[in-house]
Amino acid sequence: MLPLFFEFHSPTKVVYGPGLVSDLHAELSQVGARRYLLVSDRGLEKLGLPARVAASLEDAGVQVVGSFLDVPENSELGAVRACADEAAAVGAEGLVALGGGSVIDTAKCANILLSEGGDLVDDYSGAGTLTRPLRPLVAIPTTAGTGSEVTQAAVILDEAGSVKLSFSDKFLLPTLAVLDPELTVSLPPRLTASTAMDALTHAVESYVSPQWSPMSEALAAGAVRLIFDHLEAAVADGSDLEARGALLTAAAMAGIAFSHAMVGCVHGMAHAVGGLCHVPHGEANAILLPHGLEYNRDVVEERLAGLAPFVNGLTSEEDRLDPADRVIAAIRNLAGRLNKAGVLATRLRDVGVPEERLEAVAAATVMDGTSFYNPREVVADEILRHLRNAY
Amino acid sequence: MGSFTSSEQFETMLGGFFEHLTTVPSIAEKLLASKLIIRFKYTDPDVVLVVDCSGDALEIRRGDSETTATVEMFMTADVAHRFWFGKVNLMMALTRKQMVAKGPVPKILELLPAIKPAYQLYPTYLRENGYAQYVID
Repeated sequence: MLPLFFEFHSPTKVVYGPGLVSDLHAELSQVGARRYLLVSDRGLEKLGLPARVAASLEDAGVQVVGSFLDVPENSELGAVRACADEAAAVGAEGLVALGGGSVIDTAKCANILLSEGGDLVDDYSGAGTLTRPLRPLVAIPTTAGTGSEVTQAAVILDEAGSVKLSFSDKFLLPTLAVLDPELTVSLPPRLTASTAMDALTHAVESYVSPQWSPMSEALAAGAVRLIFDHLEAAVADGSDLEARGALLTAAAMAGIAFSHAMVGCVHGMAHAVGGLCHVPHGEANAILLPHGLEYNRDVVEERLAGLAPFVNGLTSEEDRLDPADRVIAAIRNLAGRLNKAGVLATRLRDVGVPEERLEAVAAATVMDGTSFYNPREVVADEILRHLRNAY
Repeated sequence: MGSFTSSEQFETMLGGFFEHLTTVPSIAEKLLASKLIIRFKYTDPDVVLVVDCSGDALEIRRGDSETTATVEMFMTADVAHRFWFGKVNLMMALTRKQMVAKGPVPKILELLPAIKPAYQLYPTYLRENGYAQYVID
């Protein structure tokens, strides 16, 4: 049965191709801006990526009038302001973000200040606060996880108050997303695994979300298939461009899916262990995904079953399970194989979560905003039981 | 034109409901725990209501445009009315710009589970306080 209402808005132009970043002439000529500030980070600078991209942008006929490479691991307000100041000082007409979610989110918010001026926190934090399009933003992801290159959201840390500020607006959607798998080959196996599991969690949670639509489910299911078919190959051989490209594409598809359909208690638990025990988001999602699905299983059985054709890696015995249980088993098996390969933790105890913190994690999960979009009510006692299973 | 023509009437009706919620312990306690100050700015007709969770007790202030709010929510009176029946999906409304939220949206989302029981209280409140004609089936 179709939902009574859905909206689908995904105007970001997505282009894909190995080596594409070396020839962006066709795409950039349609974007409109001529003078760009390149936004990236110091880690990528050491790999020479910003210089390579800047050269190719110049070859494409646009000017790179400056660069801002001081984006921290987690985007911060100070960096956003400094980036916007730099963009204004060099007369940038647009921004190119080269990096992971932190770099892209920094560029999104710097673009607000560059385009509109004002105070980022007082005037624009929140949802729907922008009233007109911003300057062009080209997003070139170097990780395959957050999907920020195709979402309308950005999260920035206010380092003074240790508060995470969220920005959500259709005008934050990048103008162009360039998916070039060559840019992800240097991602270490551990990060490859956890970022891809983050994308898998986006896909699976959005697929079973009460907010699903036929548009979001198609993208989510496609992302699940790509991740199951290619994640282990990318971990085994980081230079496998086919596998890298599949993960990059999957992350973008899952990003579009979850930014429309939302996520649920897996993310709620991951946010809680991230906030209380500092577990990286991708690793937390990877550990908690099968447990969150078990929590929701009975109310999402039919929807979850729809993902069964898109997963693999089951034993002959598991192949005889109900479709929904096959999906959960396949996810558990995938995480298990990555664990055996030494690139992914599968238990909370292995990522430094103290057992005595589980009750607090359960309580924080209930209060997380994702609870509202979970397919069933999020109850602390039951969540605690599943957290103990994950411990 | 929306369903409500008088600012005074809408302020009394919705402000009264908010005040009623302060007497429901299961809801009030969770709101207080948030420590948020939320200003609702309604249009068609224009009404401002502040829900102040920053003190020891919940305070509802009508027409308060002075207090510095943690979050400001903008919407029409009709959207607000339908929201309290549980008939407006917050994320969808934000996406469609039926609502605009200034400030930390995740903190607002965190409150949604706490106020969910209020959806059942709203029609009862309307019927018991002379606003039965506004009950939506």
